Amino acid sequence: MAQRVGTYTYGSEPTERLPYGIGRVTGPWLFAAALAAGAFGFGVYAYYRQYTEGEVITGMRDIGTMGGTPWGLYVVFIAYFVGVSFAGIILAALIRLMNLHQLKPVARIAEVLTVIALVCAACCVLADLGNPIRGLLNLPRYARPGSPLFGTFTLVISGYMFASLVYLYLDSRRDAMICARVPGRLQTFHRIWAAGYRDTPAQRRRHYTASFWLAIAIVPLLVTAHSTLGFVFGLQIGRPGWHSALQAPSFVIMAGVSGTGLLIVAAAIMRRALGEQERLTGEVFRWLNNLLLVLILAYLYLWIVETLSSVYQGGEQEVEVTRALFTGEYATLFWLVLALLLSALALLIAQFFRPGLALVAGVTAGVLVNVAAIFKRFLLVIPSQTHGPLLPYSPGHYSPTWVEYGVVIGLFGFGTLLFIGFAKTFPIIHLPEAEKERAA
Amino acid sequence: MRRTIVFGWLIAGFFLQATAYFFLGAKLGIPQSPANSNPRVPYAGLVFICGVMMVFISAVIYELLPDREDKGQTGDVRDGREYGR
Repeated sequence: MAQRVGTYTYGSEPTERLPYGIGRVTGPWLFAAALAAGAFGFGVYAYYRQYTEGEVITGMRDIGTMGGTPWGLYVVFIAYFVGVSFAGIILAALIRLMNLHQLKPVARIAEVLTVIALVCAACCVLADLGNPIRGLLNLPRYARPGSPLFGTFTLVISGYMFASLVYLYLDSRRDAMICARVPGRLQTFHRIWAAGYRDTPAQRRRHYTASFWLAIAIVPLLVTAHSTLGFVFGLQIGRPGWHSALQAPSFVIMAGVSGTGLLIVAAAIMRRALGEQERLTGEVFRWLNNLLLVLILAYLYLWIVETLSSVYQGGEQEVEVTRALFTGEYATLFWLVLALLLSALALLIAQFFRPGLALVAGVTAGVLVNVAAIFKRFLLVIPSQTHGPLLPYSPGHYSPTWVEYGVVIGLFGFGTLLFIGFAKTFPIIHLPEAEKERAA
Repeated sequence: MRRTIVFGWLIAGFFLQATAYFFLGAKLGIPQSPANSNPRVPYAGLVFICGVMMVFISAVIYELLPDREDKGQTGDVRDGREYGR
């Protein structure tokens, strides 16, 4: 055992270099980093303008008297980013609990996506607050643990991010130990990460137990956290279009759809960038595609049930919101979301007839469902504010300004920077040796 | 010893969560006054979150604290040197 790990095997040949191009900056990586940094810089500038001039330069306004919406693009993207984070860590937990070895190569990508998505969600919360410092001080001071808002903005973004970080850290110690053998600038960093891990049978047994219980603890925390995000909308009785018992399950399922879609896209990019066709095989993508297919079907079912309920038994305002979605101001977006989801579904079904299309179908479906998820979140957050007031106000309107778009673009840039930065400092895919032994 | 510390830490985490939720936060029940909205003790929410974090930290303690089993076991040795420390 002790001598076996003198060098790790990467592919078929032993090597003394760090795997997956870690620590080596290449032209394409620099280009991607520059692009992401540019987007991030634009976002910082946009936020600076918002911070100094106030939220009046955004498209957000009061409901009714000002004919606007106090919850705008930032809340849309809080829901989107938190959703993306869901699939990442739940997939990693399920891989451990159900021993889904086929999906192990994508487990770390999923874990990293979770943490990054939660960081972006936290930034969205801060961007939404007119005075973020006051929010940061008052939220912990006055928050009520039983409130759905607390559950979403505090429990999700702190407790669940912390749990994901712990899972990522413990799950990566073995690879950190392997990387710590290779001399270089990152050796100290990898050694600190490994924190004494020596791959002894006792340590492996301990990690096996710890990761099992951690996964057991994470799954209910995740479902609770995502359900509370649904409750933020679903429990508001005075807001037609939001008040529904199906909001919580819909949130959980849509979170799974967008997260799995993004994971497929990220895995495909990593497959191409790292030349890992042998490990990120068609079988991995078929697994993820099938999962995405089931989730889309489940979501469409919930969506149909919710829409039918609101049309059949809904009050006047409820019907008003539904009319705005079906034939009114939001009709284009509404039918576009449906078309995107159905197109993704068709692509995922097509792969059953042409198995060779698994990768292309998965990536295309992943992009489509993520666009659909963003638009669907928009359709959830906005129409109920503009067309759902119970008081006799005329319908409002919301269109985001360049500042809001800038902040969101900046967040995508920030997330990309974090992801590609991580990929250059740590193995983004489980090292083969570790994977083989865990399967044994 | 390691297991005692881990279980102690775990129980402390759950205890903090329960205390913050039921006794430090706002009163549970149908809201009829500001007492149902304001926390009985400021930062009750923060205490609750600390409890959640403590529960998950127990996994780190469980893995990182050395055990009697570790003694005498060799893991990662190359060129006469032990790595990962």
